[in-house]
Amino acid sequence: MKLMHTKLPDFIKKMHEAVHKHFADRDLNIKGLENLSSAKMQSLRTGRIEHAVEEMVLTTGINQVEMVIIPRVPETMHTVIIKGLGEDGEVKKAILEVINILHCTEEVELHDCNDIDDRRPVIGRH
Amino acid sequence: MAVLRYKLISEGKVGKYTVPLNIIFVDSKDIVASGLSQDDAVTKIASQIQGPAGISVFDMEAVTTTSDGIMVQGAIIKMAASDHGRINSDFGRLDMAEMEYSPEIVSEEPHLKQWQTLFSGRRLFRGPDPQKKVIPVHNVVISGRASNNNSATEMMNIVTMEEILLPILGQLEIMNDGEVLIGNTGGVISVGIGMTVAEKFGRVFPTRQFRAGETAHNCGEYAQTLKKEIPCIVATKRTLAKAIINALNAGMVPGLHIGCSPAVLSVAKYLGREIDIDNIKDSAWEELISIGFSKKWLQVEQKVLTEAQFLERADELIPGVDEPFKKKVSELVKVMEINI
Repeated sequence: MKLMHTKLPDFIKKMHEAVHKHFADRDLNIKGLENLSSAKMQSLRTGRIEHAVEEMVLTTGINQVEMVIIPRVPETMHTVIIKGLGEDGEVKKAILEVINILHCTEEVELHDCNDIDDRRPVIGRH
Repeated sequence: MAVLRYKLISEGKVGKYTVPLNIIFVDSKDIVASGLSQDDAVTKIASQIQGPAGISVFDMEAVTTTSDGIMVQGAIIKMAASDHGRINSDFGRLDMAEMEYSPEIVSEEPHLKQWQTLFSGRRLFRGPDPQKKVIPVHNVVISGRASNNNSATEMMNIVTMEEILLPILGQLEIMNDGEVLIGNTGGVISVGIGMTVAEKFGRVFPTRQFRAGETAHNCGEYAQTLKKEIPCIVATKRTLAKAIINALNAGMVPGLHIGCSPAVLSVAKYLGREIDIDNIKDSAWEELISIGFSKKWLQVEQKVLTEAQFLERADELIPGVDEPFKKKVSELVKVMEINI
């Protein structure tokens, strides 16, 4: 069970290593995780993504690799926690609200690229 | 060779106002004439537009409702969003649900009495069936930067975060080659948008969540700021007034059968028609009062205008839209053709 989900720092390290394994002088630019300080990443996909990064870096004509992580569902629902703190810093009162956030879908990153290998399962599968 | 025709408002500026994405209007009759299916036609049109785009497909023989419950002829039956010529396969397009007429639906949604009275036999479309969505997002389609919301009446570019409001009456004017009003929404429209009616598969809500006399916004004086500084393309006040008068003449009572939006209240007040003041909830009053619509103002006796007199003064008597200018649709849209 320990390996069912990967620690966020381990996920990031693994992705960089997938590049460094073949090209010590190249790096991987990862965007979209900046707002996360603590998270567990799905292990099942972690291995496949490592594999995809390695495959991409070894592709002829590819000079650099970038990874962008965006929400698969472009409207995400979030809980908003409005906390009232007392003098001692303890939460004395709270109001819970909800906010939906709209995000771009992948077309915004792909521009006119036509060589797209979509390996995502249909929504609802993992 | 067949031709697929559509209307386009290009991303850029109209007067001093920003149009944040390309806006496309398609008549289902033109799709039939092209020989394509509706989905293929929308895909074909999207492939012609490199920038972000919102797409509305209309059945001009069908009917729909405004958010405050006014029934009008001409309905959006499909919406899409595209970017870089592509429509997202999961979230890029949605069909509106056709509603079946029944005494039960009229009983649940009293504003639909207009259906039999004014538009008997016509097909009705508002929003999509939530069961047809991949996942329960709101009534939105998104592809890349383009987001087409609330059943194709609010469109935006998610990267620039600029938005434009396209209430259904304005879109119908575009389809009918009439005249539109372009301006900033302002506080009155911001409040008015919240004065909805209860609808199953509605333009904004999939369930009958907010009834006439209530406010969906429910946030007091903040309601006037929610959609205040947004460019909008709307019908002229005269066209809006005609639609509201038709509803009033079909027996609709503001606050009871149809929403208590500032526009509806203004028409009813000046024509001396019944308004269900007691059914308008305190939360709705709070928002109306914040933009100068008090219960006292509605109760003050004044000279009743005829419909013709009101229509002549509609620009003056219906509030809403800041710094507007009128524009003929023929000067606003480009008619485009694709050879099929």
